[in-house]
Amino acid sequence: MRIAILLSAGRHAVSGRPAPVSVELQAIRLARELIRQMAGEVDGNAAGDITGFHAGPDAGPLKDALGHGLPRLIQLSIGAQDDPLPSLAAALGAERFDLVLAGRSGQGGEDAGLLPYALARTLGLPIVADACALAAGPQHGTVSLEQALPRGARRRLTLRLPALVTVHPAAPAPLPFAFAAMRRGMLETREGVPAPRAAGEVEERAYRARPKLIAKSAAGASATERLKAATEAASSGGRLIVDPAPEDAARAILAHLRQIGVLRD
Amino acid sequence: MSRLRRDLRMERATHRIEGTPRPRFDLAAMLAATPAAAGRLRRDPRGEERLALVPGTLRRRLDRTQRVAASAVAAPAAAVAEMAPKLVVIAEPAYLVAVVPDAPGGRLTPHDRQVIGAARLLADAGGGAVLALGEMPGEDLAAAGVDRVLGLPVAGYDPEARAALLHAVLDGLDIRHALLPESADGADLARRLAALTGETLFAGAESLTAKAVTRAAQGRRIEQRRAPPRLITLAADASAPHGGAPHEAIPVVFALPALMPGAILSAEFVPADPARVGLDEADFVVSAGNGVRDFTAFRALVEALNATPGASRMVCDAGLMPRAAQVGASGTVLDARCYFALGIAGAPQHLQGVARCEHVVAVNTDLHAAMIERAGLAIVADAQKVMPALIEALTGALAVEAQP
Repeated sequence: MRIAILLSAGRHAVSGRPAPVSVELQAIRLARELIRQMAGEVDGNAAGDITGFHAGPDAGPLKDALGHGLPRLIQLSIGAQDDPLPSLAAALGAERFDLVLAGRSGQGGEDAGLLPYALARTLGLPIVADACALAAGPQHGTVSLEQALPRGARRRLTLRLPALVTVHPAAPAPLPFAFAAMRRGMLETREGVPAPRAAGEVEERAYRARPKLIAKSAAGASATERLKAATEAASSGGRLIVDPAPEDAARAILAHLRQIGVLRD
Repeated sequence: MSRLRRDLRMERATHRIEGTPRPRFDLAAMLAATPAAAGRLRRDPRGEERLALVPGTLRRRLDRTQRVAASAVAAPAAAVAEMAPKLVVIAEPAYLVAVVPDAPGGRLTPHDRQVIGAARLLADAGGGAVLALGEMPGEDLAAAGVDRVLGLPVAGYDPEARAALLHAVLDGLDIRHALLPESADGADLARRLAALTGETLFAGAESLTAKAVTRAAQGRRIEQRRAPPRLITLAADASAPHGGAPHEAIPVVFALPALMPGAILSAEFVPADPARVGLDEADFVVSAGNGVRDFTAFRALVEALNATPGASRMVCDAGLMPRAAQVGASGTVLDARCYFALGIAGAPQHLQGVARCEHVVAVNTDLHAAMIERAGLAIVADAQKVMPALIEALTGALAVEAQP
């Protein structure tokens, strides 16, 4: 099992300083645990290898990823404004990886989350988004993964390899940082494919937080009316039962909950 | 600053009726002649009360918030509501604006409605029509502001096939913009589509007009702005849903291509474990208020109902439930489908937390509690007695099911 992990130069959410992206560190943990499970051994590197890829001018804070359990990191040297897609496609295409793991979106660049999809398209791999757990599949050459859905639900998928999978923040937390692991990890620098980005028609300015939409009442309404608009939702034509016996009340409640589909038998 | 001093004796003297032995005064004329406009208008409390009286309620209710002017306006508003909403028909659209709602279970989410509202904005700017792609009931879409509907028949979970069908539709029809919600499934689909077509995707737009869209980039430090491109995903709460008259939502005929099997071999939906899910993500919340004293029974009920526990501020302040379980303005604002309030009267701050819940069930001893008014099913009874009855009904039902 050969696993590649795409690492991006992120920024810390609070301080804004360069830092590895947390979701990609979680991907390292998922990859290590998958390999360990497949080998049935304690040693994580026996049944396969994990390689990190980063396309950028400098590995910088990504050396920390080595401390979080990544054995090997390959930095593809390109300019700061270059498109990382051709470099990554060339590097991943040259070696055969069974599984490519990536984060959801970068931090500090375009932040659109498009790169994994474009890469999957270039490499001809299927892509699955938002994995939060990985395990060996029922057949050889498959992997079973859990996809995180809104409201805490999950979708269990069986996926044929090779494939590209993006990781969701609901995945288990990254492995703790170990200084010795960082010293032990290998960092290799290769020449990337220079690909200057074409100037787009996008105008950039300083970010201004916009107010989120809230339930609106009429313009110039009083505070009471605004509160009413915020608290009152569409009421479903309320049914009122006054002073029933507790058993009747329980029966009515359960019937209502079953009718609206909340309570399943 | 001082007012002119009135000489009351002289005012009276001017209204003296002459020719009588005893001094007589015409007081009615004097009252009419007094300069009333100089001071404040005299209040008529009874008249104000009549105007504030809320019609159509059994109990006498006064709505003092909307004073005299507001209730004078209330009558024509009722006349507008009686008129049937007119259907907007766009027979010959200049172009199409495609929308791909998530619509889990065939029902539009609030985010979907916002995306359709944004599409409406782009379509109305140049005489276009909104085309919804997906399987949904027509009347829901019509009210949300959709002109045309086209189904995407994809069995099970296969986003690759969906993206391929969408690609075919975008190529085959005159679609100027395609809008998707920046939700889990919508974001995935939009990026697949962008990779398939090679077009630029404007991901997570935070404001949208016919002239410009904006989004955050570089870790929310800069804002990117441009004219709306073809592919846009819209962040939640960035655009208002369509509030006008319904549109026609008629089906469109389009020959969709055949599908290839994808790499996903099987997909199985695993519902969330309500005990582990956070209150803001929960689907069904059972909440305890001051009317609940037996919290062992409450926890047993929550477990039997397979729900997430919540509480009011009173209960959390008393330390009977953890602070993380507090529902309301100072706790968690819920996004649940159903809210079951046990012994909660419904302070405005608590109702704010419940505002987005679709169904509310309330058990309370007070008939006039705000929560009873808000609830779809309201039961005026002691929650303390209803809880054991509910647990018994649930476990009894389970035992009956287990027998055969």
